[in-house]
Amino acid sequence: MKHIITIIAAFMFSILFYDKHIGLNLSIFSLITIALLAFYNPKRMKNKTVLLTVLAYLLTAIAVFIQHTSLSIIANCAVFFTLVGVVSEHKTSIYVHWLNGLYTSIAGFFHRSFGIDKDTEKVSLKKDIDVWHWAKLIGIPAVFIVVFVLLYKNGNPMFNDLINKINFDFINLQWILFSVLGYYLFSNISRPIQVEPATSADLKTSNILSKPETISEEKLKKEKQLGTTLIGLLNTLIIFYIITDIASLVSTELSSAPALSSQVHSGINALIASIVIAIVIILYFFRGDLNFYSENKTLKNLTYLWIILNIVLVALIAIKNHNYISSFGLTYKRIGVNVYILLTLIGLITTFLKVMSVKNLVYLFRINTQFAFVILIALSTINWDKTITEYNIHKAKSFDIDYLIKLTDNNAIQLYDALDELNISNQNEQRIREKYDRYLGDLLSKTWQESNYDYYSVVLKRL
Amino acid sequence: MNVPSNISKSSLLAFVVFWAISFATETDILTIDMTPYVMFSFIPVFLVSSFVILSTVCPFFWLLEKDGFDKTQVFMGYFPYYVITTFSICAFFIISSDFDTLAIAFFASAFISTSQAWVWFAKEKSHEKV
Repeated sequence: MKHIITIIAAFMFSILFYDKHIGLNLSIFSLITIALLAFYNPKRMKNKTVLLTVLAYLLTAIAVFIQHTSLSIIANCAVFFTLVGVVSEHKTSIYVHWLNGLYTSIAGFFHRSFGIDKDTEKVSLKKDIDVWHWAKLIGIPAVFIVVFVLLYKNGNPMFNDLINKINFDFINLQWILFSVLGYYLFSNISRPIQVEPATSADLKTSNILSKPETISEEKLKKEKQLGTTLIGLLNTLIIFYIITDIASLVSTELSSAPALSSQVHSGINALIASIVIAIVIILYFFRGDLNFYSENKTLKNLTYLWIILNIVLVALIAIKNHNYISSFGLTYKRIGVNVYILLTLIGLITTFLKVMSVKNLVYLFRINTQFAFVILIALSTINWDKTITEYNIHKAKSFDIDYLIKLTDNNAIQLYDALDELNISNQNEQRIREKYDRYLGDLLSKTWQESNYDYYSVVLKRL
Repeated sequence: MNVPSNISKSSLLAFVVFWAISFATETDILTIDMTPYVMFSFIPVFLVSSFVILSTVCPFFWLLEKDGFDKTQVFMGYFPYYVITTFSICAFFIISSDFDTLAIAFFASAFISTSQAWVWFAKEKSHEKV
């Protein structure tokens, strides 16, 4: 029964993906994957983490259909591996989920054919296939039949004609091979496996720093003095930097794109250096025993202050970027700066929590990768081409029409609909019309497997 | 370790996978006249398989068994990373070749046969234990 379900899924895989581009097929594939995982692992699917990952997978599947962007496809694939990893073991870190998910998807078949029983950690020897026997049974008759057919072909023209008339065109071997690939994939993910000892090592690793049995007071006192002096001076320096930055932000006349661009980019460089050094210094001082030293309050307070001042620095960069965007429109680079600002803010807050709650480096790595993953999913639900076009046409003070035309065809309908509002040259108008016609042509040539939201909402309405 | 037997079985597997993919994607070469060429192709397939298995799979078992690991431990500890790396390399070359039939057939057969070679090597010890 289980094999039949995998075989059906494999045929559906071929129907969905064989000789097709990405579209509705990836969303349906996501549903098949969830159904297959639920069928083979009913108990594990009831776990909260698994259910949450299933929700994220569904969200990206919907995003692929509605938004149809490269980011949504990447996010969907990332969540696929995560889901398979979570089903294999839900308590591990997200990067171990990825490792387990990737390993299961690529080599689950080979791992299971080795016959490792996951629950008992024993090698349950499956009966090995007698390869030589099968090779002889198939190979020797095949070789002799071919040799004799070749000999008989030369001996009898009628037999030669008959042999030459044999035509295998009615069989689509490629389609069958694609189904085999689908079977391999579904068979792999049906019972997710774990990479050992990475999984068990991760399960054993705690987020909390353990208190040492003995503490060298003198050594810690010296380290605390060094830390207090260093972070105290760095606090003073960053305060001066922030004051001058605010002054320059208020006083400078920001009318040209190069001036604003220079401000944002120099600010970003300062931010990168400042944050990286800040986190490295904090991690160095709070790597071990100093966390448990009774007289570490001043150092801790100075560290908190430094993190807060870095957050102020992040806010200043965000203001500059906002000014830049409202004056000259959205671009992918400017959105990238905002994403970087968000990630930096999260990094600073988690570093703050690490110091406050006496957590270790693994905690930082775990929580930050989790946030990065959630942000990837959140960003994948937005069609950035459409957002950029909408913002630039209706909200930005000025924008570059050439940039909008060069974006992917996702904004073709928007640009075409806004032709009356745009004050652009005839040449650019022609380029927009060409882009629109090309996009409609592409939509019309799509099969149902390749279709997306635009196909149903626009093409069918306009026909 | 029964290296000759493993290499022979893996070569046979690589040979079958290579020609299955080639025939499936290039149906016009699926003629009876191709038979002698297909049969002779076992020689280069055998040479390539031997080289790949001897240089990338066997060293794991030879070196780690010296350090006291048994075959199951070697398989459990190193096969996942080997297979992920191999898959990435094969996928990279297949994509770089713009999904050329020869590249798909070559790298798919290399991936499948080396992965199965790991399983066969790892199973040897388990049988001995029992």
